[in-house]
Amino acid sequence: MATTTATITLSSTDLLSDELALSTTATLTQAANSTGLTGTTGLARKTTASASEYTLFAAANYTDDKAHKLYLKNTETTAALYFEVQVGGTVVGKLYAGDWALIPWSADSTGTNCDVDITPSTSASHTLEYMLFTDE
Amino acid sequence: MATTTAAVTLASDLMSTNMSVTASTTCMKAGTTADGLDQMEYGYLDLITGDEYDLIAATPTAGKASKLYLKNHSTDETYFIAITQGTQAIGKLYGGDWMFIPADFHDAAGEIAITANGGTNKICYALFHEGIALNASA
Repeated sequence: MATTTATITLSSTDLLSDELALSTTATLTQAANSTGLTGTTGLARKTTASASEYTLFAAANYTDDKAHKLYLKNTETTAALYFEVQVGGTVVGKLYAGDWALIPWSADSTGTNCDVDITPSTSASHTLEYMLFTDE
Repeated sequence: MATTTAAVTLASDLMSTNMSVTASTTCMKAGTTADGLDQMEYGYLDLITGDEYDLIAATPTAGKASKLYLKNHSTDETYFIAITQGTQAIGKLYGGDWMFIPADFHDAAGEIAITANGGTNKICYALFHEGIALNASA
């Protein structure tokens, strides 16, 4: 069985009076069992050249209602350049330069079409790094 | 300026070559490299099944660079938390899973709502933000 782990470390020495040091690891498994996720798109990059909305992943291409995990990283270094991330047309948030995210994605295609879309902040070149781990 | 760092490592033997992807970011206020997110809310709670709850009771300032960490500490692999925004299903966090997402809180449709499934789920969350509208005392 393939093993995929995701480790996050959140740290700060000056946000609070006490030091913040949180670290945890998840083994990414299929929905409702302990079998590891078996699919991935691999790590990829997309560079946008307009301020249009782009569909990164179409829900219809993946099994509905599962435990997919989506990794995103805005590789830009100019602070104001961001990607707006939407799931099913709902804005999740904005990934500013250098920011990353790990998002659980159900690929819901029955209730709503839960596509993952991105919209860069400007028409200037923006590069996004991304990877999907799939529960198929 | 508060400095809060969020780092991730994704490791997998899914492919022919073992993969290890790392990233680290300093959580900054929207559109700047000069000022870090300087406020946070942190909690650990039991989430009972049946109802959908707003995870964050007060409303962070909309359109900012807030970051939300959420972990399902349940040990039963069949338990999960359904994550929705407005009426939109986003995904499910099964026992042991965590997420770290940019949270826009743009309007009522931007509220993060959570629903426990399978049984009482234990969750831990942290919201890093740059301002929040507290509810007036009744």
